[in-house]
Amino acid sequence: MLYKVMGRDVFKDFVKSLISNYEFIGPKRKDKAVHDFVPIKDISELDINYKRTTIPPAKKILFPPDEKLVAYEVNEKIKVRPVVESSEKVLFGINAWDINGMNFLDRFFVTDFVDENYLERRKKLIVIGMDSEPTETNFSPSMDSEYAKDGFDLYITELKDRYFIRINTARGDEILKKYSVTENALVKDFKDYNNYMDNYRKKFKLDVNIKDFYDNFELIYDDDEFWEKVAKNCYSCGSCNLACPTCFCFNVKDDIELNLKDGNKTREWDSCMLPEYGLVAGGHNFRPDKENRLKQRYRCKLKTFLDKFGRYACVGCGRCIEVCLAKINIADNINSIKKEVSV
Amino acid sequence: MTLNVKYNNKSNKSSIYVPELARINKIQQISPTEKLFDIVFEDDKNQNNFNFEPGQFVELTVFGLGEAPFSICSNPENKDFFQLCIRDIGNVSGALHRMKEGSKIGIRGPYGNGYFPYEKMRNHNIILIAGGLGLAPLMSLVKYILHHREDYKEVMIIYGAVNPENILFKDDIQYFSSRNDISICVTVDNPDAEWTGEVGVCTKLIPRVDFPVEDTCAVVCGPPVMYKFVIIELEKKNYSSEKVFLSLERRMECGVGKCNHCHIGDKLVCVDGPVFSLWQIKNLKEAI
Repeated sequence: MLYKVMGRDVFKDFVKSLISNYEFIGPKRKDKAVHDFVPIKDISELDINYKRTTIPPAKKILFPPDEKLVAYEVNEKIKVRPVVESSEKVLFGINAWDINGMNFLDRFFVTDFVDENYLERRKKLIVIGMDSEPTETNFSPSMDSEYAKDGFDLYITELKDRYFIRINTARGDEILKKYSVTENALVKDFKDYNNYMDNYRKKFKLDVNIKDFYDNFELIYDDDEFWEKVAKNCYSCGSCNLACPTCFCFNVKDDIELNLKDGNKTREWDSCMLPEYGLVAGGHNFRPDKENRLKQRYRCKLKTFLDKFGRYACVGCGRCIEVCLAKINIADNINSIKKEVSV
Repeated sequence: MTLNVKYNNKSNKSSIYVPELARINKIQQISPTEKLFDIVFEDDKNQNNFNFEPGQFVELTVFGLGEAPFSICSNPENKDFFQLCIRDIGNVSGALHRMKEGSKIGIRGPYGNGYFPYEKMRNHNIILIAGGLGLAPLMSLVKYILHHREDYKEVMIIYGAVNPENILFKDDIQYFSSRNDISICVTVDNPDAEWTGEVGVCTKLIPRVDFPVEDTCAVVCGPPVMYKFVIIELEKKNYSSEKVFLSLERRMECGVGKCNHCHIGDKLVCVDGPVFSLWQIKNLKEAI
C-alpha cells in the first residue's frame, strides 16, 4: 500500500478525467432516499454523498441479475461457445463494506471451480473506494467490514482540506499519476486520517453480538418455537437476497430463439427464500418451510463461510433489514439468539 | 486488487458452464418409466479423457430446453461409453425420453468430489442398499467391484422396488443371481400374482445380514424418505459411521459449487458429495 494526498482543487479535475476516459460508474441520486450506481457521463450527475443504495453496486456489475453464459447453434451440427463478456470500467465511490462484499464474491467465484464470467469482469473493474454515511441498520463494524484493506485500486478518504489516498495496485498508481497531482502522505496526514477514522467508526450505532453465534446457533437450530417466531411474518419474497451484497444463488436456464436455431444458457439471480428453492423433479421439496429456509440463510451468512473461508458471508450493510417487508431484522435476531441461550 | 486465483479446472475451456457435445448411442426402455441411455462424446479426445468414479454425476444439457444432473450407472472401467438410467419425471428427463438414438446432447462433468470410496472399501464385506431409482448410482459401484472382485470380501445387494414391473436393471440382476460371488435380494411393496420373492420395504431385510461389524461397509441410495429407516437398521448392527456411505439428492443448477441450491449446512452436495459418510451426515442437520 502506498499513501498519497491530493489537494481539494485538483480532485474535481481528477474525477472529470476519469469520466471522460473510462466507462465510469458512480452513485447518482435516484429519489429522496436512495442512490443508484449507474453510468455517469457528466460530473454533475455524480453525488458521492450517498447513504442508501438498494442494489449493491459491485454485485450488479460483476454478477448481473441475468447473464448469458453459453451460446449455441442447433443445426445439422451443434456449435457451442462460451460467452464471457467484459469491458474495462471504473467503479467510483463504492464504500468499504460493499468492497468487502465484493471481496467475498471474489473468493467465492474462484473457489473449487473458477467462474470466468465473474473473474473477467472483476479483473477489468477499476475500483475507487470512498466512505459513505452508514444507515441506522448498518452493523458492519461487528462484521469487521467497515474498513476495506483490500479489493480496491484506490481508496479516497476525504479530510478537511485534502484527500488521503490509499493506493493498492500498480494500476491505481498509474491512473493517479496520469490524471492528477499527488504528494506523499506525511505524519500530519496520517494523524488527520487517524482522527477521521476514529470519528467515522463512531457513526456506526448498531452493535451485533456475533462472536457467540457460532456455537449458540447449533443449540437454537432445533428450537422450532424460536424460528416460528422469527419467520412468522416472512413473505418468502426474496427481497433480502436481492439487496444483499454477498448473495450469489442463481438458476441456469436454457432458451431457444424463435428461429429454433440459436440457443443459450443464461443464469439469473435466485433466492433461497422462495418456496421452490429446494424443489426437485418429481415434486419433492427439500426446504418446504419458510422457517427452515430463513435459518438456513442465517447459517449461510453467518457460519458456513466462517468454516470455509474464515470470514462471514455478511458485511453488516443492513440492506436486508431495510428492504424486508415483514421487518425481519437479522441484527436483532443474532442478538436474541444469544439472549435466548443465556436465559 | 489482489485476486489470488488458483486454477483447479485446468482445461482449455474458458467457461465452466460450457458442455461438451455427446451422442445418445443406444436407448433401452428398462421399466415403464425408466430408460437406459448409452452416451458417447462426439470428440474422441473427450471420450478418452472421461474418467469417472463410481457415485459421480454429470450435468446433461438438452439444447434449448435445460440442464439437469444425473448419476452415472455404468462401470467406470468401461471407457467406450457411459450410461445414465433416467426416469421420465421432469423437464429435461421428459425431453430425453422423447429423444431418439443418435440425438445430440451436452455433457459437463463428471462432478462430485465425494464418490463411493472404493479404495477404502477394499478387503471389506459390502452391503449395497437401494430403493427404487437409487439403484442407478449403486450400479456403477457394483460393476466396479465385480471388475475387481478379488479385492473385496462378501458382496450383497438389497434392493426394494414399488412393484415387480418397476424393477430396474433386470438383466443385470439376473446375471448377478447367476454368479456365486455376489448375492442379491429384491423386495417389492406391491407384489403381483407371479411374484415369488420378498414383499415389503428393503429395511426389513437388513437384520438378516450377518457380516461382521469390523470389516463391513454399507452404501445406501434411495428416495429421501428411505434414509432415516435404513440408518436405524444399520446402527442396530453397530457398523462404524465412517464405513456407511449415503448418496444424496438435491436440486442442482450448476454442478460446480456456485449456484448453492444443493447446500446442506456448510456442505454442497455437488462438490462435497453427492456421497457422504454417515459420520458427515450426522454432523449435517437436515441432510436426511
